[in-house]
Amino acid sequence: MAGSLKAPSPPRWLLAELTYSCPLQCPYCSNPLDYADFKEELSTDDWKRVLKQSREMGAVQLGFSGGEPLVRKDLVELVDYSHELGYYTNLITSGYNMDEAKIIELKEAGLDHIQISLQASSKELNDFIAGTESFEHKKVVAKLIKKHGYPMVLCVVLHRQNIHQMKDILEMAIELGADFVELANTQYYGWAHHNRDQLMPTQEQLTTAEAIANEYQASQKGKMKIYYIVPDFFEGRPKACMNGWGTTFLTIAPDGLALPCHSARQLPNFDCPSVRNHSISEIWNQSKAFNYFRGDDWMQEPCRSCPEKGKDFGGCHCQAFLLTGDATNADPVCDLSPLHHVVTDAIEQAATSAAEKPLVFRNSKNSKVF
Amino acid sequence: MSLQIDTAIHLSPTYRLQWEKAQDMFVLLYPEGLIELNQSSAEILQVCDGKNKLADIVSVLEQKFSTSGLESDITHFLNTALENGWITQST
Repeated sequence: MAGSLKAPSPPRWLLAELTYSCPLQCPYCSNPLDYADFKEELSTDDWKRVLKQSREMGAVQLGFSGGEPLVRKDLVELVDYSHELGYYTNLITSGYNMDEAKIIELKEAGLDHIQISLQASSKELNDFIAGTESFEHKKVVAKLIKKHGYPMVLCVVLHRQNIHQMKDILEMAIELGADFVELANTQYYGWAHHNRDQLMPTQEQLTTAEAIANEYQASQKGKMKIYYIVPDFFEGRPKACMNGWGTTFLTIAPDGLALPCHSARQLPNFDCPSVRNHSISEIWNQSKAFNYFRGDDWMQEPCRSCPEKGKDFGGCHCQAFLLTGDATNADPVCDLSPLHHVVTDAIEQAATSAAEKPLVFRNSKNSKVF
Repeated sequence: MSLQIDTAIHLSPTYRLQWEKAQDMFVLLYPEGLIELNQSSAEILQVCDGKNKLADIVSVLEQKFSTSGLESDITHFLNTALENGWITQST
């Protein structure tokens, strides 16, 4: 592996994508479009090695994600092992196939927190977006999560087709006893990138939604914390992606690929390393992929001379690649980017052409086409 | 919501205070989040044990560091901690 620059800060966050299998078919899924090609999942022992090595490096927040992590038969065993290692363990789940016995079993294994997703505040829309009848069950599961004393994050991904339900979504969160609500506008990677025209909200929708979020943030202060995540396409400045590349976050994909960001698999010539061949320390400190965007030597103009480069690090490199074909370009959501028009064009295109195309749902059949 | 001086203070059940060897510091852990604490914040949170009230916390820390006049800084921090939901006071 290539030599590294100065010693990087240690990883703090490990995202363990246990599997790409998922009973849901959400058309904004951030998994790769061709996920069906990655069939060879890491074994239980592989995961334990990853968990141990990452913990030794400094990782302390651990997210079990996917796909749907409940699909993995060894989930409880991995939670138990992680708890022993001293991680704060988060389960990021659709709630599908969860039952009270599993909730208890996970609690006994030391699971600290459950994030459950809903797709909308009404059965009809939830089940349509999820591509699977799941609404009533998810609500039952959410109540069981609270019954058994977990802190609960309720996550709803927002887009053109459900953002009008903001108020009802927040009322539902209160009813379900959520401690935190994450209202995340869709980010356009993976399946969401493919379905962008149908998912992109209008400026009016966003203005209304943000006002409702602010109103509930004020009225729920001290009771329920509401995170409203603005869509960067409408912001004028990029997000500080991953808190800085290779500074904080380490994602391990189901097949063992180590990613500085969960979308990084698609970046060309990146040679993302695999935990099958390398230790976490080699991957974090020495690999080309993790060192690529550390510091600012890689930057082009206008980022290189930008006074804000220490704030947003040039934005999201995966988005720069998806929208401009070059990951070292400034993230074009920045209105200082000479290619910012691709973002404004995308918003305009979505406004005019959304009705003409159907949503493509995330499932193995559709994945094999890509 | 402001700090009650006559009520014991404890860490909120949603938060966990933990020493991190790799980072050589205390961190506060909560769902999908992590706050890296400086030494004085960590010292204060460690004595929010559900028995100590404000005056006890001040006295414990003044004794530990053989100093005085910490009340104003500690009160300021605890108010911020309460505002952020890191600590609670049960009656």
